[in-house]
Amino acid sequence: MAIETEFAELRPPADITRATAARRKGPSLYLIAIYGILVIAAFIALVPFLYVISTSFKDTISLFQYPPEWIPSEPTLDNFRGLLADYPFVRWMLNSFVVASAVTIVKVVIDSMAGYAFAKMTFPGKDALFLVVLMTLMVPFAATLIPLFIIVRDLNLTNTYAGLILPALASPIGIFMMRQFIETLPTDLENAARLDGCSEFQIFRRVILPLIRPGLVVLGVFTFMTQWTSYLWPLVIGTKTEMFTLTVGVQSLRSLFTVNWGILSAGAVLSMLPLVLVFLFLQRYFIAGSIAGALKE
Amino acid sequence: MGQVDLIQVSKRYGTAEAVSAVNLAIADHEFIVLLGPSGCGKSTLLKMIAGLEDVSDGEIYIDGNLVNYARPADRNVAMVFQNYALYPHMTVFDNIAFPLKMTGVAKSETDQRVRQAAGALGLETLLDRRPEQLSGGQRQRVALGRAIVREPSVFLMDEPLSNLDAQLRVQTREELLRLHARLQRTTIYVTHDQIEAMTMGHRIVVMRGGVVQQVGPPQQVYDEPANTFVAAFLGSPRINLHAGRLDQGGSGATFVANGTAILLPPRLAELARAATTEAALGVRPENIHVLLDPAATDGASNALPATVSLVEPVGSDLYVTATTGDLSWTARAEPRLPVTPGQTIGLRLDLQRAHLFGESGRNLALAG
Ligand SMILES: Nc1ncnc2c1ncn2[C@@H]1O[C@H](COP(=O)(O)OP(=O)(O)OP(=O)(O)O)[C@@H](O)[C@H]1O
Ligand SMILES: [Mg+2]
Repeated sequence: MAIETEFAELRPPADITRATAARRKGPSLYLIAIYGILVIAAFIALVPFLYVISTSFKDTISLFQYPPEWIPSEPTLDNFRGLLADYPFVRWMLNSFVVASAVTIVKVVIDSMAGYAFAKMTFPGKDALFLVVLMTLMVPFAATLIPLFIIVRDLNLTNTYAGLILPALASPIGIFMMRQFIETLPTDLENAARLDGCSEFQIFRRVILPLIRPGLVVLGVFTFMTQWTSYLWPLVIGTKTEMFTLTVGVQSLRSLFTVNWGILSAGAVLSMLPLVLVFLFLQRYFIAGSIAGALKE
Repeated sequence: MGQVDLIQVSKRYGTAEAVSAVNLAIADHEFIVLLGPSGCGKSTLLKMIAGLEDVSDGEIYIDGNLVNYARPADRNVAMVFQNYALYPHMTVFDNIAFPLKMTGVAKSETDQRVRQAAGALGLETLLDRRPEQLSGGQRQRVALGRAIVREPSVFLMDEPLSNLDAQLRVQTREELLRLHARLQRTTIYVTHDQIEAMTMGHRIVVMRGGVVQQVGPPQQVYDEPANTFVAAFLGSPRINLHAGRLDQGGSGATFVANGTAILLPPRLAELARAATTEAALGVRPENIHVLLDPAATDGASNALPATVSLVEPVGSDLYVTATTGDLSWTARAEPRLPVTPGQTIGLRLDLQRAHLFGESGRNLALAG
């Protein structure tokens, strides 16, 4: 064999300026088209909401007017008054709030810890375990609904908060989300913390957790929203009117033969309100970056 | 305090060996530089010393204590990471104070030590800022501050200057050296920059593919490279290295490569006798003299007529690349020498300072 005089690893790296040059293109027709489609889609999504809001302010007569009015000529609060006077609407809202908050808080804690373990720790069977977690993602809820109901019934948890909350805690999507989020954090941050004297839990608590705050908020809002709008499970597990959640309660407003659309719409509007508020308050977290400055450019 | 001994230290990732059987004794106060191209295992070795990577094989001693199983925080080492790894959600003060806080140092003492470290690094006015509000050089100093505030017995630095621009790099290099002179702490410094290695290290360790190629003071490693890799890695422009064969002819030993025959001086001829016929000749650019008159090479056995192919003025020097047959040579010449591409010149090789490498690239002068 000839003596080595050329060394692949000593050659200068391939030209990297090309990649940056290719990226430098102004906003294009493509972008304009995308925004156009988004605007149209947003409008289509908004129409039903606007109509429900409009309906909730109509009296029984103008409700069935044709053509329908977008802005009621004589707006009334009768629907809201009726809803609060004749139905345990406040209780339903409280139920929804308790369930959604509890699930959100517990899930954010559990999922971020599990996500950290899957993203950054090494332990035997980690990949296999993660695969199992992922696989549960692929089981449709309809398939587990009946067995789950039997378990919860046998535990005497029907018509309880525990029965509403506990099953919702075991969902892998949050673990998956947090794992993806935490994986993007540079490992050297943990290494630095390790050298600085942190235990594994302290690394999680003092370094990881503050840095994934945007992720936690996204997960929290996402979970809260899912719980707030969840219908099937609360319907199955709650038989007493006072243990209804909002979704089940509002749905129960339609009696067997008649539907009071005005009251139903008022219920729907009041149910949406908290979600809209949550979004407005936490919006900035969806956009904010968290690790700027940790790494050099 | 601050002595580090590595005995047969290896690291495997699956079947790939990132670090192979490294033996190294690092003295207290020493500034040692791990040097090698990207992916050669420098960072891995450093992380093993820090305790951030498990050791696959071998033993690591710090001050005579086996630390293979000690927690990173218990090894009395501090590390400056390549990306600085500052905690983005903390202020500069909190970043520097963090290791003290985690080890339970009292608040008043923490305060005083952080301010002292910040003062030494010129960070006093930046203590309330967050990392994202700092320049690259300032971040680098914060990372340094977080390391020195612990007063460790060993500093580990993984390419701490690689993210700074050229001017700042030179400046920070000097600051690091001053810091080392003041603190007198053992420093293990990783870089792939040969200038940093040459200027900063008491000794340098050249690595390739996880294997240590050579250990020694910078000038010695430069003057007596252990093999072709070390010869090629150190020095800019690169050493002229040509593979060829040795001929023990009647007029003395010659080195033949691509039809060019070069008569070897007695020192190299002596080495050639002990070698197989395969060899490589290495001549550094500063040991090649450009003769404007190619006729001047007549008669001289170590002078070659050549055609200029490239002229690179760098201000202080002129790098002239010229070819003899198929062999290309780069010479470091006087800055304002009137040569242009295509011109025929003479090259005189100063073979007294040349290197002859034998099988597997080993420097024959260091054989044994
Ligand atoms: N976690 C890992 N898993 C598998 N292989 C790894 C891992 N970390 C490093 N390696 C491999 O080990 C080798 C040495 O890597 P290392 O980071 O020590 O190189 P380096 O000398 O520091 O390079 P650079 O100058 O680019 O930082 C490389 O081939 C790398 O691909
Ligand atoms: Mg490295």
